[in-house]
Amino acid sequence: MAEVLSPDSVASPLSEIRIPDDEFARMRKENLARWPTGAGVDFDAAVDYHKNLPMHKRLAWVMRRADAEGRTLTQPRGGFGTLEMQRELMTTLDREGLADIVPTTTDSYTRNERWEQAQHGIEESKRLGRSMLNGFPMVNYGVEDTRRLIEAIDKPAVMLTGTAMPRLTGEVGYAAGYSGYLGSAIAYTLSYTKEIPIEIGIRNYQYLDRLASMYLEHGVEQHRRQPGFLTGTNIPPCIAIVTAVLDVLLAAAQGVRNYGLELGQTLHLIQDAAAIRVCREMCQEYLTRKGYVDAFTPVTSLHWMGAWPHDDAQSAAIVAYGGTLAAVGGAVSVTTKSLHEAFGIPTPEANAEGLRVTRMAIYMARSIKLDGLPEYEREKEVIRKEVRAVVDKVLEMGDGDAAVGTVRACEAGVLDIPWSPSRSVKGRILPARDADGYLRILNPGDMPFPKEVLDYHEERLRKRAEKDGMPYDHELAVSSVYEISEPLQALAPFPYVQEAAE
Amino acid sequence: MTETLDPSKRQDITLVTGVIGSDTHIVGNRILSMALEEAGYSIVILGALTPADEFIKAAIETAADGIMVSSLYGQGELDCRGFRELCVEAGLDDILLYVGGNLVVGKTPWEVVEKRFLDMGFDRAFPPGTRTPEVVEALDRDFAARARGKRTADS
Repeated sequence: MAEVLSPDSVASPLSEIRIPDDEFARMRKENLARWPTGAGVDFDAAVDYHKNLPMHKRLAWVMRRADAEGRTLTQPRGGFGTLEMQRELMTTLDREGLADIVPTTTDSYTRNERWEQAQHGIEESKRLGRSMLNGFPMVNYGVEDTRRLIEAIDKPAVMLTGTAMPRLTGEVGYAAGYSGYLGSAIAYTLSYTKEIPIEIGIRNYQYLDRLASMYLEHGVEQHRRQPGFLTGTNIPPCIAIVTAVLDVLLAAAQGVRNYGLELGQTLHLIQDAAAIRVCREMCQEYLTRKGYVDAFTPVTSLHWMGAWPHDDAQSAAIVAYGGTLAAVGGAVSVTTKSLHEAFGIPTPEANAEGLRVTRMAIYMARSIKLDGLPEYEREKEVIRKEVRAVVDKVLEMGDGDAAVGTVRACEAGVLDIPWSPSRSVKGRILPARDADGYLRILNPGDMPFPKEVLDYHEERLRKRAEKDGMPYDHELAVSSVYEISEPLQALAPFPYVQEAAE
Repeated sequence: MTETLDPSKRQDITLVTGVIGSDTHIVGNRILSMALEEAGYSIVILGALTPADEFIKAAIETAADGIMVSSLYGQGELDCRGFRELCVEAGLDDILLYVGGNLVVGKTPWEVVEKRFLDMGFDRAFPPGTRTPEVVEALDRDFAARARGKRTADS
């Protein structure tokens, strides 16, 4: 068994209903007792700490403000195995990278609640003088130590935790002074885990969302965020947005009102802009339908999440273009990568460089938007049709309850994720890139998309198969996974060599 | 001229694939598994988030000839330490071990990374971006060499 399940998961039948106060108090007590640093979480002291943070270090406020002003903020990723390395990283990103939001990525042992292994990773990192962990083991360090990271920067800090088990990391991080938490039940359970049932993931994130709303009840608005980039591998916008809508409904039911939505870039200017706009629109449509009229749902655009080229120059183009895509698409923030992406975790300097490349691209995008462009308007309408068909079906399967509907829809394949490691989904849906560079659906699995939409996807993909001289089969999907990482010599060689020689 | 395995013999060779440790990056491993299967090898697919001992357990249960370890998230160095020793303890002294992916945290010269993993007892290490035909070719050469009593084609 590779993953640890939550012990207190079977209290009541699963539903989207807000966890009652007394029940939540009991759950918190049990959760905080799972590792010694849990005892260092003092909720009232944490509320005071947040109230004393200047507004510009509170992510919920910063996101609202940036949205109102039409800005696109920058945020990298980053996490190292010791407090000292992490502090140096965060100050470099803040000062050298001009990051608007400073991140802390947790390591993969922490994500899987393997805190003993994380402890070993800290010790090995110290012994060898280089990070042996791919992130910061926040739970092992605890509230007091982790707060030194917040003190070291002059920007809001966000936790990036890639986990279906957010309960203790969320407690420690929010208490330490982080004002944002990236993670959600549907997106992370179905994209980042293998054995954890979706029901457990939903319960775990209901806890975190309930915690964020408890801060709100005490006058501190915390930012929550949904990782709609999913497996990061050629996710068509509609799939990401379906999960965004369902996750935001789950969060809103627990009382969250500041909820960001992250979309991985398809690297197609029009498709990305359409996705960014429709994501927010669809979330608001379903929130309103459920009676939540005051939820703030800004969209974040993420630099390419698939395979990267091994050439710094090619990577620089993707980083810069990613800034353009985010800004033109109207994203409130962009999550950046670096020129080292193909080689693994970047140095702080390379990470800062990625931020600055992106920032310049955002600056140059000025206020350019695509509204009124026929292809943009058409793509938005296609995405709306896809999203509504699936979300309506999921909610219907749950008799209106997003939690119940999600579990049943996963079982039935109505909700499916491309390239997912999770046993909770069928994993039959297969995306591929069409001849014009849009991500399309090659095989929908059992997802209930309207026939006219699927016909459109097929027509587009057949055009590509013909153009590339390939059969219309799964190889279209596999080659789309590699495409962007191919060397320039393969993607765009000088076209006239042959003719010149003849 | 290096000797290479007759493709018809591939079906007699069983390979275990999986992503080691707390790593969920399944895409490359899945494509590799598909390619090895298409090439005709017998494949036991463990998927993402596979602890070292599960690779070894599966290798014993299926009498595997090789284990293909993927790691993309940077912590592969910690996860792979002692892997060969675990194999030896389980009586799989000579099982062919390949590892590939983004194996360490940070941009490190490939020669350094490769040496680290060969020193750990892996027979071959593959850098990020390796395409599947290259792996099939290496397997063919190594199993041809093994038929002649050598450990790998390069040894």
